[in-house]
Amino acid sequence: MKVEITALSHIFFTPQPLPALQNLNLYIPSGQFVAIIGPSGCGKSTLLRLIASLLQPTSGSIRLDGKTPAEANAARQVAWLAQSPALLPWLTVEGNIALARKLLATQLNHQMSVRQALARVGLEQFAGAYPFTLSGGMQQRLALARLLIQNAGLWLMDEPFAALDEITREQLASMLLDLWQPAQPTVLWVTHNIYEALRLAERVIVLSSAPGQIVADFRIDLPHPRREDRADFQDLLGEVRTALNQAVEATV
Amino acid sequence: MNPFRLSGGQIAVLIVTVFLLAWEAAVRLLTIPVYLLPAPSRILRTLIEHPALYAQASLLTLAEAFAGLLIGLLAGVMIAALLTLLPGLEEGVMTLAILLKSTPLVAIAPLLTIWLGFGILPKILITALLTFFPVLVNVLSGLQKTDSHHLELFHSWHASRREVFRHLRAPNALPYLFAALKISAPLALIGAVVAEWTGASGGLGRVMWLAYTNLNLPFLFAAIFILAAAGMALYRLTVWLERQVIFWQSHPEP
Repeated sequence: MKVEITALSHIFFTPQPLPALQNLNLYIPSGQFVAIIGPSGCGKSTLLRLIASLLQPTSGSIRLDGKTPAEANAARQVAWLAQSPALLPWLTVEGNIALARKLLATQLNHQMSVRQALARVGLEQFAGAYPFTLSGGMQQRLALARLLIQNAGLWLMDEPFAALDEITREQLASMLLDLWQPAQPTVLWVTHNIYEALRLAERVIVLSSAPGQIVADFRIDLPHPRREDRADFQDLLGEVRTALNQAVEATV
Repeated sequence: MNPFRLSGGQIAVLIVTVFLLAWEAAVRLLTIPVYLLPAPSRILRTLIEHPALYAQASLLTLAEAFAGLLIGLLAGVMIAALLTLLPGLEEGVMTLAILLKSTPLVAIAPLLTIWLGFGILPKILITALLTFFPVLVNVLSGLQKTDSHHLELFHSWHASRREVFRHLRAPNALPYLFAALKISAPLALIGAVVAEWTGASGGLGRVMWLAYTNLNLPFLFAAIFILAAAGMALYRLTVWLERQVIFWQSHPEP
């Protein structure tokens, strides 16, 4: 799914007007894996929420394969994953996936069974367990399986691994890449971790502090698996870090 | 904290026993006349001497309490569901419910007896009226207070209002329903007894009223003992049921 954003602005009225995004223009071709980084409060989450039709923009337009966010949402083509796995505690591991499959069944042609989705994230032995018996990393893996079964053209991910420890985070990031590979949906992934962004994404977009604007846009052409000790990785890391620092300083 | 390593239940039994023994001792040592305060032993003897009377009265009162609780429960849950699906009605209906709730029970009870007679129907209605409000208020907040992350997830699935209700709001309200039951179950007994007090042909309330007008305090206290025990049993039953149904509650939410 391709994403076209034109002159997008968003102002929160709290009740003082608080501009979150200002005149944002962005084109993302179908199937691109994009990481969005920026200082906290730069409107990264607001951008995702606007695309998910959880918010209505103050001005400007968003088109997802030519559709409005509401139309794409009605077609169940936009999948959502945030920091909280948002599992239903009264359903088993299997039950959580089965509910997603059931509620999405009318719109999508499902090739994937509940068991297959669980196998993809390595949770098949835990099918009958309840979410509260799982670790934080396993809970987020379950949320990934649920995302996978939606078979959506666009994945919106708002710091999905931010609450996890570093080792688990790296494992889940690799898993995310593996899950993305076969169908290659478009991914918009908000993170505050530069390493993570450079290890996974094909493109890294740096936003300035609120009101958020794009201050840098990097193409990452490094081959997978990416190694942090390579010189080109380190060069890019330095460039992104500089851009991020400038974005922070610009608003101080 | 707990040098004798007693369980919560053992401590509760211990406290009640100490209380009853102190009561017994006070009555005997201070020679309090029986028309002011009978000793627990005297009350228990009254119970044992009139098993049929108390069994019959208890059965009737419990039946009324259960029927009233069931109706109050169903009405509370149904109205809460209706207000969640049609939020525009909330203010109007809640105002009416609060008006009904603030009207003193002792004022409505005799009216219902006048209109509906001395049978069990007015008792069941009063109990229902009394138990309905905690259920309505609790279940309504359970249905409304859904986690924003869950709502975002259901939004991303483009779930209908009915699907959100069935798969998210309803199970989310279950712990609130049990919180309401813990309040309403003991209230049901009070409702039934107060209703009987205002005019009935049987039941514990009737026994208490007769004992009261004759200043027969052992009879009165025997009924109170039964009510206290029944209230406790109902509460424990609710807690046990809650543990079976809400198995995910004692754990932090994912």
